Amino acid sequence: MAVKAFTDDWARLFKDEVNSSSVYKSAAKGWKWTVGLVVEAEPDKNFPEARGVVMDLFDGSARDITVGSAGEAQKCDFVITAPYSRWKQVATKELDATKGMLQGKLKLKGDLPTIVRYTKASQEMTECTTRVPVEWPDES
Amino acid sequence: MHDARAGRMARRKLSAKDHAVTYADAEPSAFASMLGGLIEANVEGSAAKRKDFRSLAARVGIWVTDIDEGVTLDFDKGSLVVHNGLEPRRDLTIRAEAETVMSLSNLKIGPFGMPVYFDHVGRGVAAKLVRGKLRIEGLLGNLATLNTVTRIFSVQ
Repeated sequence: MAVKAFTDDWARLFKDEVNSSSVYKSAAKGWKWTVGLVVEAEPDKNFPEARGVVMDLFDGSARDITVGSAGEAQKCDFVITAPYSRWKQVATKELDATKGMLQGKLKLKGDLPTIVRYTKASQEMTECTTRVPVEWPDES
Repeated sequence: MHDARAGRMARRKLSAKDHAVTYADAEPSAFASMLGGLIEANVEGSAAKRKDFRSLAARVGIWVTDIDEGVTLDFDKGSLVVHNGLEPRRDLTIRAEAETVMSLSNLKIGPFGMPVYFDHVGRGVAAKLVRGKLRIEGLLGNLATLNTVTRIFSVQ
């Protein structure tokens, strides 16, 4: 059953997807930093307020994934920021996250060598988002 | 044409004088900022990479084929100017998809400072080269330069 995008229910399903991915488990071995996703508001897309996804990731598993304010996500070790519709493009496979970052469509803050070292893990993380059935606010 | 050594361009100083990374354009592209930032962090974090950086004088282009964007890296013995797009008179030009460019940064460096092409990442890069998905122009006579650039890029 589809869940509303960037809500607690969505975070729970996303965490389950990450923790059931053997690819992620192997590719993210050694990872020990928090990651924040800032989803910027787009009122015209029925997404009126920015939200933040805080991911507590450790050594190939997701210890916790929560949805809160953008400010909370901005405190993470790595922060990726984009408007709502860009995240939707990533989650629906319209936009490859790696290409998005190289094009500046997704803005990354954090230690670059570390994130590049874990390219495969971040690609699989993106794959996990695509497997969560989502009800998008601009389609409801 | 931009000449990295002419000093007529807008530049943004980003690090210590002994391994300065600067940008030729007032508004560096996201790709230019990312590559410049990656090299800067690598050089700051490793004495071996600093040594390579200080020895390298070459103009290297990188074109990402699936986003139609590229940069020119003007290495000049301890400094680097990053240009948006491809500038003329390049010694080497690497053309590949975004994923392959990221893989180049993940190549391990083995004995004698040679990139490792026999592990999983290395085999993937070699396969792209064979299939023409990774093209390197100017390789003849510049193999040592390619190896030095690869070492500076590598995050492994």
